[in-house]
Amino acid sequence: MNHRERVIKALNFEEPDRVPIMENGIDTPLMEKITGDSFPYAVSRQSPIITDRSHESMRVDLRLKCWRKIDFDLFPIDLSTPDGWKPQMTPEGDMVDLWGRIMKLDKMTRAWIPYSTVFTDPDDYDEFEFPDPLEGGWVYALEYAKRNLEGEMALASSLRDPFAHAWEMFTPMKFVLWMYREPSFIKRVIEDIADFNIGIIKRVAEVGVDLIISSGDYCDAKGPMVPLSFFRDTIFPNLRRQVDAAHKSGVKYIKHTDGNINSLLPDLADIVDGCHSLDPSAGVDIGSVKKTYGDRLVLMGNISVDNLALKGRADIVEEVKRCIRDASPGGGHILSSSNSWAAGARLENCLAMVEAGKTYGVYPIKM
Amino acid sequence: MSLPKSLRELILGLADISEIKDLIDNELRSHKNPQLIVDELSQTLREVGDKYERGELFLSELMMIGYLASEAASNLKPHLSGAGKRSRGKTVMGTVRGDIHDVGKNIVVMMLQADGWEVIDLGVDVPPEEFVEAIRKEKPVILGLSALLTSTLEEMRNVIKALEKSGLRDKVKVIVGGRPITRMIAKEMGADGYADDSVAAIRAVREMARRGGGT
Repeated sequence: MNHRERVIKALNFEEPDRVPIMENGIDTPLMEKITGDSFPYAVSRQSPIITDRSHESMRVDLRLKCWRKIDFDLFPIDLSTPDGWKPQMTPEGDMVDLWGRIMKLDKMTRAWIPYSTVFTDPDDYDEFEFPDPLEGGWVYALEYAKRNLEGEMALASSLRDPFAHAWEMFTPMKFVLWMYREPSFIKRVIEDIADFNIGIIKRVAEVGVDLIISSGDYCDAKGPMVPLSFFRDTIFPNLRRQVDAAHKSGVKYIKHTDGNINSLLPDLADIVDGCHSLDPSAGVDIGSVKKTYGDRLVLMGNISVDNLALKGRADIVEEVKRCIRDASPGGGHILSSSNSWAAGARLENCLAMVEAGKTYGVYPIKM
Repeated sequence: MSLPKSLRELILGLADISEIKDLIDNELRSHKNPQLIVDELSQTLREVGDKYERGELFLSELMMIGYLASEAASNLKPHLSGAGKRSRGKTVMGTVRGDIHDVGKNIVVMMLQADGWEVIDLGVDVPPEEFVEAIRKEKPVILGLSALLTSTLEEMRNVIKALEKSGLRDKVKVIVGGRPITRMIAKEMGADGYADDSVAAIRAVREMARRGGGT
């Protein structure tokens, strides 16, 4: 069974030869450490920013080399910049991205991170030139990866969730202020971003991806960041539209979110195909999620990123064993950390996670 | 006819800021002691903290309340005199180098301002030398270091080491805050207090002030 077949089986709630293993992302410094290659260009997890196609190819090459070296089963890659787009730089050296987010460079991870916004009030949105999903170039990295993978690993497209997108586009404080003061405006923005995403979903489906992983958080450690009424009125109907678009093209749709998602799980189980992160530090128990939703949700995550950074190898092996024992029987489980391998994670712990996954994740699960 | 709402009710109900300002203006025109309004605001924030801890408020509601309370406090400030005009103490806040997340820190800043503290906000991605310079210049009673990423915990240690090296460590109480912080991590890095979310941070600052870290 090859990597891709293993993932497809798990996504269809069948038991493959062993539990598939993946990471949603690895920070550049750690990928360099793993591969021995260097990548001198800054990236962003929230937004496509690399405009030079040779640099973008290098980005995918580094990631492919890293994923192959680790022996992952699933390869997620995000969108590229549309053809001809150039980022605007502020006098302070910050970058304005495609969505009006002002981004600062985090020197440690060499990643641009949203920090501020070009929007001062909702009226600015009417003047904003909204990105067009029909423009060329968005799927450059995906097409490049697809050509190079030749079906070896399953291919996932990362797509930013409309809620997280708008939250970052306006900054969290302005988003919250306008959510309470001008709810119809925020609803319109989320609908617009969902429309954009639906256009992109058609494009990524044409490339031949196996699944979409929707990035961007809904929750913090305490629970949902906004009231459940806002989820049910605005966020979930637009999530459902995107999932329907993916399903029409035969593509599975996984929702990533950090934090304590327990109160959102009944709704999510009715909308998406799976959940990624399942953050144990925020109180998510993968065994309990498996018992209640294991026939409807593919489960990905639950190896604590805090433990990958702070604990020892033996602790990680025990955590992987617990995760496999609780979530792998019957399929529908893909082993991964509860977010990504961050620059501060201990590489020996990350590698121990994969090694333990291969050792204890062989079906039938014997723990 | 319904009774006019109190400041507490308006803030907890996420009223428009103009309603809150109107209420404060009316109370001041009726010669209410502004310090009593400050006390009511402070009491409301304690209740908000408790509600958030019990999971009765969403993050978005906490952020809105922080914004409204901070605006209300700014409105009241010119009317305070004597002891009331003095802040509870000065604090310096910042997200450490390598981390540019600021949602939690900004809530803490708004809440502290509303609670009568003077806050010097150094922003995000702040290097240790900038914290040292701010402590030297501003002479705060409390320094709050924020981080969201586990990978930036080391930077918090670096700030504390830099304070020790410059002979300023015993001049200020250090509170470390953020998602990855635990009591053990805070103690191990030599901090005086810790908080794993913004409400806990406000509580830690108040507690430290009660024990003699503030005025």
